[in-house]
Amino acid sequence: MARKTPPSMTQETAANAAGPRWTYTKRGYALAQSLRQLKRHKFASLITLLVLGITLALPVMLLFASSALQQLGSRSIEGESLTAYLQDSVSDLDGAALATQWASSEGIRETRYISREEALALFRENSDIGSAIDALGENPLPGAVIIYPDSNVLRAGTVDALAARLRTNEAVERVQYDLRWVRRLQAVVSLVQLVGGMLALFLTLTALLVIGNTIRLELLRRRSEMEVASLLGAGSFFMNRPILYIGALYGLLGGVVASIIAVIGFNAIKQPADDLSSLYESTFRLSHPTATQIGIVLAVSLVLGVVGALSSMYRPSQQLTQRGSNGS
Amino acid sequence: MIAFEHVSLEYLPGRFALQDVSFTLSAGSFTFLTGHSGAGKSSLLRLVARLERPSSGEIQVGNIHYSHLRPRQEPALRQQMGIVFQDNQLLLDRSVFDNVAFPLIIGGYRYNDIKTRVSAALKRVGLADKALENPQVLSGGEQQRIGIARAVVARPKLLLADEPTGNLDPDISAEIMHLFMQFNASGVTVLFATHDQSLLDTFRYPRLQLLNGTLTGASRETASGQATPSSRNPDNVR
Repeated sequence: MARKTPPSMTQETAANAAGPRWTYTKRGYALAQSLRQLKRHKFASLITLLVLGITLALPVMLLFASSALQQLGSRSIEGESLTAYLQDSVSDLDGAALATQWASSEGIRETRYISREEALALFRENSDIGSAIDALGENPLPGAVIIYPDSNVLRAGTVDALAARLRTNEAVERVQYDLRWVRRLQAVVSLVQLVGGMLALFLTLTALLVIGNTIRLELLRRRSEMEVASLLGAGSFFMNRPILYIGALYGLLGGVVASIIAVIGFNAIKQPADDLSSLYESTFRLSHPTATQIGIVLAVSLVLGVVGALSSMYRPSQQLTQRGSNGS
Repeated sequence: MIAFEHVSLEYLPGRFALQDVSFTLSAGSFTFLTGHSGAGKSSLLRLVARLERPSSGEIQVGNIHYSHLRPRQEPALRQQMGIVFQDNQLLLDRSVFDNVAFPLIIGGYRYNDIKTRVSAALKRVGLADKALENPQVLSGGEQQRIGIARAVVARPKLLLADEPTGNLDPDISAEIMHLFMQFNASGVTVLFATHDQSLLDTFRYPRLQLLNGTLTGASRETASGQATPSSRNPDNVR
Protein backbone atom coordinates (compact mmCIF):
# COMPACT_ATOMS: atom_id res chain seq x y z
CA MET A 1 0.00 0.00 0.00
CA ALA A 2 1.40 3.35 -1.01
CA ARG A 3 2.31 5.66 1.84
CA LYS A 4 0.23 8.80 1.85
CA THR A 5 2.37 11.91 1.53
CA PRO A 6 1.69 14.44 4.30
CA PRO A 7 -0.22 17.47 2.93
CA SER A 8 2.47 19.95 3.98
CA MET A 9 5.09 17.91 2.12
CA THR A 10 3.11 17.81 -1.15
CA GLN A 11 2.41 21.51 -0.96
CA GLU A 12 6.10 22.16 -0.40
CA THR A 13 6.93 19.92 -3.37
CA ALA A 14 4.55 21.95 -5.51
CA ALA A 15 6.09 25.23 -4.38
CA ASN A 16 9.53 23.88 -5.24
CA ALA A 17 8.36 23.39 -8.80
CA ALA A 18 8.33 27.15 -9.28
CA GLY A 19 10.98 28.48 -11.63
CA PRO A 20 13.23 31.50 -10.97
CA ARG A 21 11.49 34.48 -9.37
CA TRP A 22 12.03 36.82 -12.34
CA THR A 23 10.12 34.54 -14.72
CA TYR A 24 6.87 35.13 -12.79
CA THR A 25 6.63 38.86 -13.40
CA LYS A 26 4.90 40.08 -16.55
CA ARG A 27 8.13 41.36 -18.11
CA GLY A 28 10.17 38.41 -16.88
CA TYR A 29 7.60 35.99 -18.24
CA ALA A 30 7.74 37.66 -21.65
CA LEU A 31 11.55 37.59 -21.69
CA ALA A 32 11.70 33.98 -20.48
CA GLN A 33 9.20 32.93 -23.16
CA SER A 34 11.20 34.74 -25.85
CA LEU A 35 14.48 33.15 -24.79
CA ARG A 36 12.82 29.74 -24.47
CA GLN A 37 11.46 30.12 -27.99
CA LEU A 38 14.93 30.93 -29.40
CA LYS A 39 16.40 27.98 -27.48
CA ARG A 40 13.64 25.59 -28.49
CA HIS A 41 14.07 26.33 -32.20
CA LYS A 42 17.86 26.61 -32.10
CA PHE A 43 18.55 25.79 -35.74
CA ALA A 44 15.78 27.99 -37.15
CA SER A 45 16.82 30.83 -34.84
CA LEU A 46 20.46 30.47 -35.84
CA ILE A 47 19.58 30.59 -39.55
CA THR A 48 17.39 33.66 -39.01
CA LEU A 49 20.17 35.38 -37.05
CA LEU A 50 22.71 34.57 -39.78
CA VAL A 51 20.37 35.90 -42.49
CA LEU A 52 19.82 39.06 -40.44
CA GLY A 53 23.52 39.37 -39.64
CA ILE A 54 24.59 39.01 -43.27
CA THR A 55 21.84 41.38 -44.44
CA LEU A 56 22.83 44.01 -41.90
CA ALA A 57 26.60 43.45 -42.31
CA LEU A 58 26.80 45.37 -45.60
CA PRO A 59 25.12 48.55 -44.28
CA VAL A 60 27.33 48.27 -41.19
CA MET A 61 30.48 47.96 -43.33
CA LEU A 62 29.30 50.90 -45.40
CA LEU A 63 28.84 52.90 -42.21
CA PHE A 64 32.38 52.07 -41.11
CA ALA A 65 33.79 52.74 -44.61
CA SER A 66 31.90 56.00 -44.93
CA SER A 67 33.35 57.15 -41.63
CA ALA A 68 36.87 56.19 -42.77
CA LEU A 69 36.41 58.01 -46.10
CA GLN A 70 35.17 61.07 -44.26
CA GLN A 71 38.36 60.93 -42.20
CA LEU A 72 40.44 60.60 -45.37
CA GLY A 73 38.61 63.56 -46.92
CA SER A 74 39.23 65.70 -43.84
CA ARG A 75 42.93 64.81 -43.79
CA SER A 76 43.26 65.64 -47.48
CA ILE A 77 41.58 68.95 -46.92
CA GLU A 78 43.84 69.76 -44.02
CA GLY A 79 46.93 69.20 -46.22
CA GLU A 80 45.74 71.56 -48.95
CA SER A 81 47.38 74.98 -49.35
CA LEU A 82 47.61 78.10 -51.53
CA THR A 83 50.92 79.62 -52.60
CA ALA A 84 51.23 83.38 -52.83
CA TYR A 85 54.29 84.34 -54.91
CA LEU A 86 55.62 87.72 -53.85
CA GLN A 87 57.02 90.56 -55.94
CA ASP A 88 60.82 90.43 -56.48
CA SER A 89 61.04 93.73 -54.65
CA VAL A 90 59.72 92.25 -51.38
CA SER A 91 62.52 91.58 -48.92
CA ASP A 92 62.74 88.45 -46.77
CA LEU A 93 61.93 90.55 -43.72
CA ASP A 94 58.78 91.98 -45.31
CA GLY A 95 57.81 88.56 -46.66
CA ALA A 96 58.09 86.95 -43.25
CA ALA A 97 56.12 89.82 -41.70
CA LEU A 98 53.40 89.40 -44.32
CA ALA A 99 53.22 85.67 -43.56
CA THR A 100 52.84 86.41 -39.84
CA GLN A 101 50.16 89.00 -40.55
CA TRP A 102 48.14 86.60 -42.74
CA ALA A 103 48.43 83.78 -40.20
CA SER A 104 46.30 85.77 -37.78
CA SER A 105 43.69 86.79 -40.35
CA GLU A 106 40.27 85.18 -40.83
CA GLY A 107 40.01 81.93 -42.78
CA ILE A 108 43.72 81.11 -42.50
CA ARG A 109 44.94 78.39 -40.18
CA GLU A 110 48.69 78.63 -40.74
CA THR A 111 51.27 80.26 -43.01
CA ARG A 112 54.89 79.59 -43.83
CA TYR A 113 57.26 82.00 -45.54
CA ILE A 114 59.70 80.56 -48.06
CA SER A 115 62.55 82.91 -48.82
CA ARG A 116 64.11 83.18 -52.28
CA GLU A 117 67.20 81.21 -51.13
CA GLU A 118 65.03 78.53 -49.56
CA ALA A 119 62.98 78.30 -52.77
CA LEU A 120 66.18 77.89 -54.78
CA ALA A 121 67.43 75.15 -52.47
CA LEU A 122 64.08 73.33 -52.74
CA PHE A 123 64.13 73.68 -56.53
CA ARG A 124 67.64 72.24 -56.73
CA GLU A 125 66.65 69.38 -54.46
CA ASN A 126 63.39 68.41 -56.17
CA SER A 127 63.88 69.35 -59.80
CA ASP A 128 65.78 67.42 -62.47
CA ILE A 129 66.92 70.71 -63.95
CA GLY A 130 68.13 72.08 -60.63
CA SER A 131 71.70 72.55 -61.91
CA ALA A 132 70.50 74.44 -65.02
CA ILE A 133 69.44 77.35 -62.84
CA ASP A 134 73.10 78.09 -62.03
CA ALA A 135 73.59 79.11 -65.68
CA LEU A 136 71.29 82.09 -65.11
CA GLY A 137 73.81 83.69 -62.77
CA GLU A 138 71.15 84.98 -60.39
CA ASN A 139 68.23 83.51 -58.41
CA PRO A 140 65.08 83.93 -60.54
CA LEU A 141 62.72 82.48 -57.91
CA PRO A 142 60.50 84.83 -55.91
CA GLY A 143 59.85 84.59 -52.20
CA ALA A 144 56.54 82.89 -51.41
CA VAL A 145 54.07 82.41 -48.60
CA ILE A 146 52.38 79.02 -48.21
CA ILE A 147 48.89 79.56 -46.83
CA TYR A 148 46.93 76.75 -45.16
CA PRO A 149 43.27 77.79 -45.08
CA ASP A 150 40.84 76.78 -42.37
CA SER A 151 39.07 73.50 -43.14
CA ASN A 152 35.79 75.46 -43.01
CA VAL A 153 36.97 77.63 -45.90
CA LEU A 154 37.97 74.53 -47.87
CA ARG A 155 34.71 72.71 -47.24
CA ALA A 156 32.55 75.74 -47.98
CA GLY A 157 34.35 76.23 -51.30
CA THR A 158 35.31 79.85 -50.47
CA VAL A 159 38.97 79.32 -51.40
CA ASP A 160 38.52 81.48 -54.51
CA ALA A 161 37.37 84.38 -52.33
CA LEU A 162 40.38 83.93 -50.06
CA ALA A 163 42.72 83.87 -53.07
CA ALA A 164 41.12 87.05 -54.41
CA ARG A 165 41.60 88.72 -51.04
CA LEU A 166 45.31 87.76 -51.00
CA ARG A 167 45.79 89.11 -54.53
CA THR A 168 44.69 92.55 -53.44
CA ASN A 169 47.89 92.88 -51.47
CA GLU A 170 50.48 94.87 -53.46
CA ALA A 171 53.31 92.58 -52.37
CA VAL A 172 51.65 89.61 -54.09
CA GLU A 173 52.44 88.91 -57.70
CA ARG A 174 50.16 85.90 -58.10
CA VAL A 175 48.34 83.25 -56.07
CA GLN A 176 48.37 79.62 -57.14
CA TYR A 177 46.34 76.71 -55.83
CA ASP A 178 44.92 73.43 -57.03
CA LEU A 179 42.06 71.85 -55.15
CA ARG A 180 40.90 69.49 -57.90
CA TRP A 181 42.11 66.42 -56.02
CA VAL A 182 40.26 67.42 -52.86
CA ARG A 183 37.11 68.19 -54.80
CA ARG A 184 37.31 64.86 -56.62
CA LEU A 185 37.80 63.01 -53.37
CA GLN A 186 34.90 64.83 -51.75
CA ALA A 187 32.70 63.99 -54.74
CA VAL A 188 33.70 60.33 -54.48
CA VAL A 189 32.99 60.33 -50.74
CA SER A 190 29.58 61.95 -51.34
CA LEU A 191 28.75 59.41 -54.05
CA VAL A 192 29.82 56.49 -51.90
CA GLN A 193 27.75 57.86 -49.03
CA LEU A 194 24.71 58.28 -51.26
CA VAL A 195 24.97 54.82 -52.82
CA GLY A 196 25.77 53.38 -49.40
CA GLY A 197 22.77 55.11 -47.91
CA MET A 198 20.46 53.72 -50.59
CA LEU A 199 21.91 50.23 -50.21
CA ALA A 200 21.60 50.51 -46.45
CA LEU A 201 17.96 51.53 -46.83
CA PHE A 202 17.14 48.55 -49.08
CA LEU A 203 19.02 46.11 -46.89
CA THR A 204 17.40 47.52 -43.78
CA LEU A 205 14.00 47.01 -45.38
CA THR A 206 15.06 43.45 -46.19
CA ALA A 207 16.04 42.93 -42.54
CA LEU A 208 12.65 44.31 -41.50
CA LEU A 209 10.89 41.85 -43.80
CA VAL A 210 12.99 38.96 -42.46
CA ILE A 211 12.13 39.91 -38.88
CA GLY A 212 8.49 40.46 -39.81
CA ASN A 213 8.24 37.06 -41.46
CA THR A 214 9.95 35.34 -38.53
CA ILE A 215 7.57 37.03 -36.12
CA ARG A 216 4.58 35.96 -38.19
CA LEU A 217 5.72 32.35 -37.91
CA GLU A 218 6.26 32.91 -34.21
CA LEU A 219 2.72 34.25 -33.89
CA LEU A 220 1.38 31.09 -35.52
CA ARG A 221 3.43 28.98 -33.11
CA ARG A 222 2.14 30.94 -30.13
CA ARG A 223 -1.47 31.14 -31.24
CA SER A 224 -2.79 28.61 -28.72
CA GLU A 225 -0.97 30.33 -25.87
CA MET A 226 -2.36 33.70 -26.90
CA GLU A 227 -5.88 32.31 -27.10
CA VAL A 228 -5.61 30.75 -23.65
CA ALA A 229 -4.11 33.98 -22.28
CA SER A 230 -7.01 35.93 -23.78
CA LEU A 231 -9.53 33.57 -22.14
CA LEU A 232 -7.77 33.96 -18.80
CA GLY A 233 -8.03 37.74 -18.95
CA ALA A 234 -4.77 38.83 -20.53
CA GLY A 235 -4.80 42.17 -22.29
CA SER A 236 -3.35 42.59 -25.76
CA PHE A 237 -0.13 44.07 -24.35
CA PHE A 238 0.51 41.01 -22.20
CA MET A 239 -0.05 38.78 -25.25
CA ASN A 240 2.10 40.90 -27.53
CA ARG A 241 4.99 41.56 -25.18
CA PRO A 242 6.81 38.22 -25.74
CA ILE A 243 6.56 38.80 -29.49
CA LEU A 244 7.96 42.28 -29.09
CA TYR A 245 10.82 40.88 -27.02
CA ILE A 246 11.54 38.21 -29.62
CA GLY A 247 11.71 40.93 -32.29
CA ALA A 248 14.07 42.96 -30.10
CA LEU A 249 16.23 39.89 -29.42
CA TYR A 250 16.40 39.01 -33.11
CA GLY A 251 17.30 42.61 -33.94
CA LEU A 252 19.96 42.89 -31.23
CA LEU A 253 21.54 39.50 -31.90
CA GLY A 254 21.36 40.17 -35.65
CA GLY A 255 23.22 43.43 -34.98
CA VAL A 256 25.87 41.54 -33.00
CA VAL A 257 26.35 39.05 -35.86
CA ALA A 258 26.47 41.92 -38.37
CA SER A 259 29.07 43.78 -36.28
CA ILE A 260 31.23 40.67 -36.00
CA ILE A 261 31.05 40.07 -39.77
CA ALA A 262 31.78 43.75 -40.46
CA VAL A 263 34.75 43.88 -38.07
CA ILE A 264 36.20 40.70 -39.60
CA GLY A 265 35.68 42.16 -43.09
CA PHE A 266 37.21 45.46 -42.02
CA ASN A 267 40.26 43.73 -40.59
CA ALA A 268 40.65 41.86 -43.86
CA ILE A 269 40.76 45.08 -45.93
CA LYS A 270 42.74 47.18 -43.43
CA GLN A 271 46.22 46.08 -44.51
CA PRO A 272 45.62 46.47 -48.28
CA ALA A 273 44.00 49.89 -47.66
CA ASP A 274 46.93 51.02 -45.51
CA ASP A 275 49.38 49.79 -48.17
CA LEU A 276 47.47 51.75 -50.83
CA SER A 277 47.56 54.83 -48.63
CA SER A 278 51.33 54.46 -48.23
CA LEU A 279 51.73 54.27 -52.01
CA TYR A 280 50.17 57.75 -52.19
CA GLU A 281 52.57 58.93 -49.47
CA SER A 282 49.60 59.51 -47.21
CA THR A 283 49.76 59.14 -43.44
CA PHE A 284 46.15 58.02 -43.50
CA ARG A 285 45.55 54.64 -41.83
CA LEU A 286 42.23 52.83 -41.70
CA SER A 287 41.14 52.91 -38.06
CA HIS A 288 39.07 50.19 -36.40
CA PRO A 289 35.35 50.76 -35.83
CA THR A 290 34.81 52.57 -32.55
CA ALA A 291 32.70 51.35 -29.63
CA THR A 292 30.27 54.21 -30.37
CA GLN A 293 29.82 53.04 -33.97
CA ILE A 294 29.18 49.46 -32.80
CA GLY A 295 26.81 50.80 -30.15
CA ILE A 296 24.89 52.70 -32.84
CA VAL A 297 24.68 49.54 -34.97
CA LEU A 298 23.31 47.52 -32.03
CA ALA A 299 20.80 50.23 -31.08
CA VAL A 300 19.58 50.61 -34.68
CA SER A 301 19.25 46.84 -35.17
CA LEU A 302 17.35 46.54 -31.87
CA VAL A 303 14.92 49.23 -33.03
CA LEU A 304 14.62 47.41 -36.37
CA GLY A 305 13.68 44.23 -34.51
CA VAL A 306 11.01 46.01 -32.50
CA VAL A 307 9.60 47.78 -35.56
CA GLY A 308 9.60 44.49 -37.53
CA ALA A 309 7.73 42.80 -34.68
CA LEU A 310 5.26 45.66 -34.31
CA SER A 311 4.50 45.73 -38.02
CA SER A 312 3.82 42.01 -38.23
CA MET A 313 1.85 41.57 -35.03
CA TYR A 314 -0.49 44.49 -35.42
CA ARG A 315 -3.11 42.72 -37.49
CA PRO A 316 -2.94 39.18 -36.01
CA SER A 317 -3.19 40.40 -32.41
CA GLN A 318 -5.99 42.74 -33.40
CA GLN A 319 -7.81 39.80 -34.99
CA LEU A 320 -7.27 37.72 -31.87
CA THR A 321 -8.58 40.50 -29.65
CA GLN A 322 -11.63 40.85 -31.87
CA ARG A 323 -12.10 37.08 -31.81
CA GLY A 324 -11.83 37.19 -28.04
CA SER A 325 -14.47 39.87 -27.89
CA ASN A 326 -16.79 38.82 -30.67
CA GLY A 327 -16.22 35.12 -30.85
CA SER A 328 -15.06 33.09 -33.79
CA MET B 1 -24.73 37.29 -9.43
CA ILE B 2 -25.65 36.64 -13.09
CA ALA B 3 -28.67 38.24 -14.72
CA PHE B 4 -29.75 37.87 -18.36
CA GLU B 5 -32.55 40.15 -19.58
CA HIS B 6 -34.04 39.16 -22.97
CA VAL B 7 -30.62 38.29 -24.32
CA SER B 8 -30.30 37.17 -27.94
CA LEU B 9 -27.23 36.22 -29.91
CA GLU B 10 -27.66 36.26 -33.67
CA TYR B 11 -24.66 34.86 -35.52
CA LEU B 12 -26.17 35.18 -39.02
CA PRO B 13 -29.24 37.18 -40.08
CA GLY B 14 -32.22 35.22 -38.76
CA ARG B 15 -30.00 32.51 -37.21
CA PHE B 16 -29.90 32.70 -33.43
CA ALA B 17 -27.50 30.92 -31.09
CA LEU B 18 -29.63 32.27 -28.23
CA GLN B 19 -33.02 33.94 -28.39
CA ASP B 20 -34.71 36.05 -25.73
CA VAL B 21 -33.00 34.36 -22.79
CA SER B 22 -33.79 35.72 -19.32
CA PHE B 23 -32.73 34.31 -15.96
CA THR B 24 -31.12 35.28 -12.68
CA LEU B 25 -28.59 33.26 -10.69
CA SER B 26 -27.80 34.19 -7.11
CA ALA B 27 -24.30 34.51 -5.71
CA GLY B 28 -23.01 31.23 -4.31
CA SER B 29 -25.39 29.08 -6.36
CA PHE B 30 -24.54 25.93 -8.31
CA THR B 31 -26.46 25.64 -11.55
CA PHE B 32 -26.38 23.14 -14.35
CA LEU B 33 -26.72 24.50 -17.85
CA THR B 34 -28.18 21.70 -19.91
CA GLY B 35 -29.33 21.05 -23.42
CA HIS B 36 -28.39 19.02 -26.46
CA SER B 37 -25.27 19.71 -28.51
CA GLY B 38 -25.74 23.01 -30.31
CA ALA B 39 -28.48 24.17 -27.94
CA GLY B 40 -26.48 27.28 -27.08
CA LYS B 41 -24.75 26.28 -23.81
CA SER B 42 -21.27 27.38 -24.92
CA SER B 43 -22.65 30.58 -26.44
CA LEU B 44 -24.31 31.43 -23.15
CA LEU B 45 -21.09 30.81 -21.23
CA ARG B 46 -19.14 32.88 -23.76
CA LEU B 47 -21.60 35.73 -23.24
CA VAL B 48 -21.08 35.54 -19.48
CA ALA B 49 -17.29 35.55 -19.99
CA ARG B 50 -17.68 38.46 -22.42
CA LEU B 51 -16.06 36.42 -25.17
CA GLU B 52 -19.15 37.25 -27.25
CA ARG B 53 -21.38 40.30 -27.29
CA PRO B 54 -25.17 39.86 -27.35
CA SER B 55 -27.10 41.06 -30.36
CA SER B 56 -29.72 42.40 -27.97
CA GLY B 57 -30.61 42.31 -24.29
CA GLU B 58 -28.73 43.13 -21.14
CA ILE B 59 -26.31 41.04 -19.12
CA GLN B 60 -25.22 41.83 -15.58
CA VAL B 61 -22.61 39.94 -13.61
CA GLY B 62 -22.15 41.14 -10.05
CA ASN B 63 -22.40 44.92 -10.23
CA ILE B 64 -21.15 45.08 -13.78
CA HIS B 65 -23.59 45.92 -16.55
CA TYR B 66 -22.02 44.59 -19.72
CA SER B 67 -23.61 47.29 -21.85
CA HIS B 68 -21.49 49.83 -19.92
CA LEU B 69 -18.31 47.80 -20.21
CA ARG B 70 -15.50 49.16 -22.37
CA PRO B 71 -13.40 46.72 -24.43
CA ARG B 72 -10.27 47.52 -22.43
CA GLN B 73 -12.10 46.58 -19.21
CA GLU B 74 -12.92 43.10 -20.51
CA PRO B 75 -9.59 41.42 -19.61
CA ALA B 76 -9.95 42.59 -15.99
CA LEU B 77 -13.50 41.21 -15.92
CA ARG B 78 -12.29 37.84 -17.19
CA GLN B 79 -9.60 37.75 -14.51
CA GLN B 80 -12.38 37.72 -11.93
CA MET B 81 -13.86 34.53 -13.38
CA GLY B 82 -12.58 30.98 -13.58
CA ILE B 83 -13.25 29.16 -16.82
CA VAL B 84 -12.91 25.40 -17.33
CA PHE B 85 -13.10 23.96 -20.82
CA GLN B 86 -13.91 20.49 -22.10
CA ASP B 87 -10.58 20.29 -23.90
CA ASN B 88 -8.59 21.72 -20.94
CA GLN B 89 -6.82 24.34 -23.07
CA LEU B 90 -3.58 23.51 -21.25
CA LEU B 91 -0.24 24.76 -22.50
CA LEU B 92 1.86 21.72 -23.24
CA ASP B 93 5.19 23.54 -23.39
CA ARG B 94 5.36 24.05 -19.63
CA SER B 95 4.93 22.27 -16.33
CA VAL B 96 1.71 21.72 -14.39
CA PHE B 97 2.87 24.40 -11.93
CA ASP B 98 3.41 26.96 -14.66
CA ASN B 99 0.05 26.17 -16.28
CA VAL B 100 -1.72 26.86 -13.01
CA ALA B 101 0.43 29.94 -12.34
CA PHE B 102 -0.44 31.48 -15.71
CA PRO B 103 -3.56 33.45 -14.60
CA LEU B 104 -1.61 34.79 -11.63
CA ILE B 105 1.21 36.04 -13.86
CA ILE B 106 -1.44 37.70 -16.04
CA GLY B 107 -2.97 39.21 -12.89
CA GLY B 108 0.42 40.57 -11.77
CA TYR B 109 0.62 38.60 -8.50
CA ARG B 110 3.82 38.54 -6.42
CA TYR B 111 6.17 35.56 -6.62
CA ASN B 112 5.54 34.31 -3.08
CA ASP B 113 1.81 34.72 -3.55
CA ILE B 114 2.00 32.73 -6.78
CA LYS B 115 3.91 29.91 -5.08
CA THR B 116 1.43 29.78 -2.20
CA ARG B 117 -1.70 29.95 -4.32
CA VAL B 118 -0.56 27.47 -6.97
CA SER B 119 0.58 25.00 -4.32
CA ALA B 120 -2.75 25.32 -2.53
CA ALA B 121 -4.75 24.93 -5.74
CA LEU B 122 -2.77 21.86 -6.79
CA LYS B 123 -3.15 20.35 -3.35
CA ARG B 124 -6.88 20.96 -3.52
CA VAL B 125 -7.20 19.05 -6.79
CA GLY B 126 -4.82 16.34 -5.59
CA LEU B 127 -1.94 17.13 -7.95
CA ALA B 128 0.61 18.70 -5.60
CA ASP B 129 3.10 15.93 -6.34
CA LYS B 130 2.70 16.40 -10.10
CA ALA B 131 3.67 20.08 -10.16
CA LEU B 132 6.87 19.50 -12.09
CA GLU B 133 5.32 17.17 -14.65
CA ASN B 134 4.35 18.15 -18.15
CA PRO B 135 0.55 17.89 -18.61
CA GLN B 136 1.07 15.63 -21.62
CA VAL B 137 2.22 12.73 -19.43
CA LEU B 138 -0.87 12.91 -17.22
CA SER B 139 -4.25 11.23 -17.67
CA GLY B 140 -7.34 12.98 -19.03
CA GLY B 141 -8.80 13.28 -15.53
CA GLU B 142 -5.59 14.75 -14.19
CA GLN B 143 -5.42 17.19 -17.07
CA GLN B 144 -8.95 18.31 -16.34
CA ARG B 145 -7.98 18.82 -12.70
CA ILE B 146 -5.08 21.03 -13.82
CA GLY B 147 -7.63 23.08 -15.77
CA ILE B 148 -9.78 23.36 -12.65
CA ALA B 149 -6.80 24.35 -10.48
CA ARG B 150 -5.95 27.02 -13.04
CA ALA B 151 -9.54 28.27 -13.01
CA VAL B 152 -9.72 28.58 -9.23
CA VAL B 153 -6.14 29.66 -8.42
CA ALA B 154 -7.03 33.37 -8.47
CA ARG B 155 -9.98 32.61 -6.17
CA PRO B 156 -12.72 33.83 -8.50
CA LYS B 157 -16.26 34.38 -7.31
CA LEU B 158 -17.68 32.86 -10.46
CA LEU B 159 -16.67 29.55 -12.03
CA LEU B 160 -17.83 28.73 -15.56
CA ALA B 161 -17.43 25.16 -16.75
CA ASP B 162 -18.08 24.16 -20.34
CA GLU B 163 -18.62 20.40 -20.45
CA PRO B 164 -15.62 19.73 -18.20
CA THR B 165 -16.49 16.03 -17.92
CA GLY B 166 -17.26 15.60 -21.60
CA ASN B 167 -14.22 13.45 -22.35
CA LEU B 168 -14.02 11.60 -19.05
CA ASP B 169 -15.34 8.27 -17.83
CA PRO B 170 -18.13 8.26 -15.18
CA ASP B 171 -15.87 7.69 -12.15
CA ILE B 172 -13.55 10.55 -13.07
CA SER B 173 -16.55 12.72 -13.95
CA ALA B 174 -17.93 12.21 -10.44
CA GLU B 175 -14.52 13.10 -9.00
CA ILE B 176 -14.42 16.30 -11.02
CA MET B 177 -18.00 17.08 -10.05
CA HIS B 178 -17.07 16.75 -6.36
CA LEU B 179 -14.30 19.27 -6.85
CA PHE B 180 -16.79 21.78 -8.24
CA MET B 181 -19.12 21.07 -5.33
CA GLN B 182 -16.26 21.78 -2.89
CA PHE B 183 -15.59 25.13 -4.54
CA ASN B 184 -19.28 25.93 -4.48
CA ALA B 185 -19.39 25.05 -0.79
CA SER B 186 -16.72 27.67 -0.20
CA GLY B 187 -18.95 30.33 -1.73
CA VAL B 188 -18.02 30.23 -5.43
CA THR B 189 -20.92 30.59 -7.88
CA VAL B 190 -20.75 27.73 -10.37
CA LEU B 191 -22.41 27.59 -13.78
CA PHE B 192 -21.75 24.10 -15.10
CA ALA B 193 -22.66 23.28 -18.71
CA THR B 194 -23.25 19.61 -19.41
CA HIS B 195 -25.48 17.30 -21.40
CA ASP B 196 -24.40 14.25 -19.40
CA GLN B 197 -27.73 12.88 -18.16
CA SER B 198 -26.14 10.56 -15.59
CA LEU B 199 -24.39 13.53 -14.00
CA LEU B 200 -27.67 15.49 -13.97
CA ASP B 201 -29.45 12.54 -12.40
CA THR B 202 -26.78 11.97 -9.76
CA PHE B 203 -26.28 15.56 -8.71
CA ARG B 204 -29.65 17.25 -8.39
CA TYR B 205 -28.80 20.93 -8.67
CA PRO B 206 -30.94 23.68 -10.26
CA ARG B 207 -30.86 23.71 -14.03
CA LEU B 208 -31.15 26.09 -16.89
CA GLN B 209 -32.34 24.09 -19.86
CA LEU B 210 -31.76 25.26 -23.40
CA LEU B 211 -33.44 24.03 -26.55
CA ASN B 212 -32.34 25.47 -29.87
CA GLY B 213 -31.15 28.67 -28.22
CA THR B 214 -34.25 29.20 -26.14
CA LEU B 215 -34.50 28.73 -22.41
CA THR B 216 -37.17 26.08 -21.93
CA GLY B 217 -36.89 25.57 -18.24
CA ALA B 218 -35.12 26.65 -15.09
CA SER B 219 -35.37 25.45 -11.55
CA ARG B 220 -35.95 27.79 -8.63
CA GLU B 221 -33.32 28.78 -6.14
CA THR B 222 -33.69 29.41 -2.45
CA ALA B 223 -33.94 32.96 -1.21
CA SER B 224 -30.43 32.76 0.31
CA GLY B 225 -29.03 32.03 -3.12
CA GLN B 226 -27.73 28.60 -2.20
CA ALA B 227 -28.53 26.08 -4.84
CA THR B 228 -30.86 23.27 -3.95
CA PRO B 229 -31.64 20.10 -5.82
CA SER B 230 -33.90 20.84 -8.73
CA SER B 231 -37.42 19.68 -9.31
CA ARG B 232 -38.03 17.14 -12.03
CA ASN B 233 -40.09 19.66 -13.98
CA PRO B 234 -38.28 22.90 -13.55
CA ASP B 235 -40.10 26.05 -14.45
CA ASN B 236 -38.59 29.29 -15.48
CA VAL B 237 -37.02 31.48 -12.80
CA ARG B 238 -38.49 34.60 -14.31
